Amino acid sequence: MSAQETNGTLQLPKMQSETPDYNDAYDAIVVGAGLAGTAAALTMAREGLDVLMLERGPAPGTKNVFGGVLYTPTIRELVDVDSAPTERYIAEKRFSMLTSDGDETAVSMRPGAWRDEPHNDSYTVLRRRFDEWFAKQAVDAGVTLITETTVTGLVRDGRKIVGVETDRPDGEIRAPVVVLAEGANSLVSENEGLKDRQEREAVAVSVKEVFKLDRETIDDRFRLDGDAGAAYNYFGEGAVGEAVGGGFVYTNKRSVSVGVAYRIEDAANGQTPEATLDAFESHPAVAPLIRGGRRIEYSAHVIPEGGAKAMPDLVHDGAVVVGDAAGLVLNSGVHLEGTNMAVESGYHAGKAIASALADGRSDEAALAAYPRDLEDSFVVENLRHYDWFQQTIADDRKFLFEDLPRALADAETEYFKMDRTAKDEHTDAARDRLLDAAGGWFGAAKRAWRFRRMLS
Amino acid sequence: MNDGWNIVVCVKQVPDADDVTIDPDTGTLNRSDAPAVLNRPDHNAVESALALREAVGGTVTAITMGPPPAKAVLQTAVGAGADGGVLLTDRAFGGSDTWPTSLALARAAEELDADVVICGEESTDSSTGQVPPGIAAHNGWSQLTYVESLEPRPDEDVLVGKRDVEGGYERVAAKLPVVVAMEFGANRPRPAGLHRKIFAETEFEPVEWTASDLGIEDRVGLANSPTKVGGMDTASPVERERERVDTVDDLYEHIMEVL
Repeated sequence: MSAQETNGTLQLPKMQSETPDYNDAYDAIVVGAGLAGTAAALTMAREGLDVLMLERGPAPGTKNVFGGVLYTPTIRELVDVDSAPTERYIAEKRFSMLTSDGDETAVSMRPGAWRDEPHNDSYTVLRRRFDEWFAKQAVDAGVTLITETTVTGLVRDGRKIVGVETDRPDGEIRAPVVVLAEGANSLVSENEGLKDRQEREAVAVSVKEVFKLDRETIDDRFRLDGDAGAAYNYFGEGAVGEAVGGGFVYTNKRSVSVGVAYRIEDAANGQTPEATLDAFESHPAVAPLIRGGRRIEYSAHVIPEGGAKAMPDLVHDGAVVVGDAAGLVLNSGVHLEGTNMAVESGYHAGKAIASALADGRSDEAALAAYPRDLEDSFVVENLRHYDWFQQTIADDRKFLFEDLPRALADAETEYFKMDRTAKDEHTDAARDRLLDAAGGWFGAAKRAWRFRRMLS
Repeated sequence: MNDGWNIVVCVKQVPDADDVTIDPDTGTLNRSDAPAVLNRPDHNAVESALALREAVGGTVTAITMGPPPAKAVLQTAVGAGADGGVLLTDRAFGGSDTWPTSLALARAAEELDADVVICGEESTDSSTGQVPPGIAAHNGWSQLTYVESLEPRPDEDVLVGKRDVEGGYERVAAKLPVVVAMEFGANRPRPAGLHRKIFAETEFEPVEWTASDLGIEDRVGLANSPTKVGGMDTASPVERERERVDTVDDLYEHIMEVL
């Protein structure tokens, strides 16, 4: 029974019983392989750093949820987006107000320019496929990705963060810098005192379902061809009932994503996500879009919507916070963005870490280039610009979500009414309906002033 | 054997059962979308191999047969604590059924001078359960199948297996070398340590053996596989009557009607 009997040259396996110690074998540990974490890891690897990226899911993307539209200008700088698994480019944006009586008033736009490459850098993607692909680009650049490993805490030496604790045996590992890209539900950052527990008003809950439909059916229903796709956003009582928020319908290649997002406070006050989504999907303006589709996915997530005011400190001695964990999500009603900001923050964090480590430093001051660069980027600029928005719509919810959509529907009904009255009279009646709802000329002017910044 | 036992654990890469669907038209498994993972019962095999090593000393060598990506399941085993790994990889193995597969594993176990070979009870993608007894048969070694737990007696070169049988259990003592098929769910597989997992996925390299390395190049592959799949069919579920009966007498009536 020895190797020599049949083949003297057969190489026996090397017994590798000793486990190496990987403490300080890596320059940085990234917590979470979502878009922010992967962008940071990829940027650092390109700068020549050894990076360990820890992900709790069995593969990147399996734990990630977003509505569905990814804006790719920064990703394009990092990787070859044209080989990415995108679903459809956004050829149409549509903003629609729904009443709970079944009325819809919509504005739709299809600029011809969006049909041309690079399609305004706007694509629907499925996170399970996209994030896995994006993380693979980081691995190809030299990043070590370890999945099914949850970071449970930080390791400190005095004030300085010097590593992470995971849920695995022998689970502590040290590195000069830790990048916290753990997402919206940032338990480690909160437990470790790097950020405050978020205010209920500043957090939204989102639920989403994906319905499988034939490609041709989607093309026909949404008037699309080729890789063109549609992003429909909905407001008003018909979208999210009594809550402050909105609904959305996005087209993928062979499926349609449908969801609602609204303040978690409204959910805590009794408006359940499943009932809200159910009502939205049953609305006469929405139901025909998904009719006959087979439900293949159900997911829920929290969204930090505190804006610039709610951003925690982004750098600490030995650590930075990026992406959703840093509250980098923009909701201005017209613009719904987060993943692009996550990538941008990961990119700037990665650059700052590389230059700090080049000087042999990882303290807060040495990493300060990250918040500085982010401050100068579109990310913080946009967050500050729209900081007023959330509170203003919350204050004016009844007008925006109930009275205005209904008044619009009534005015439309009046304006286009077919009877034997002169058109002039219909126009007057329609205008009266709108003015009534807006609080007369004076009220309308006040509101126009208050919301002028939405388009500025 | 005062330096412990040579323990070999056989592992297999399979499509994740959670993600495998059956094509209703052809009756074949739609594996393409499913990620490749370690066969679930093999986790129990790895765990009992590691526990056995703790009890008697020695080494655990993980072994798998498959294309180069099958290295991933060796990494899983080494991450959990196996000392080394062997990848049996060769185009000649392609299309092998359980007969040549167990021959290849048997020859490899022989090369490794195995005292104990541990396998999962069956694979989730074919469910034959034939490979562990096949290894024993090819080598003329003892076998213990559907084992719940192991009790080594190193002084006597004996391994005792507790087997689940109808109405209770039996304990079977087997002379080394022995092939063990561990029952699915028999133990609680340990999670990989963080540093060991990093090692397994970044630095660990298995040795690769071909069919000719094992001297069996003419005895493996599709041509040497005695079983052929003649066809596939799906069984459609029977629609239930969903009738409620209120009394035992009514129920009796119904049963008598059917009988």
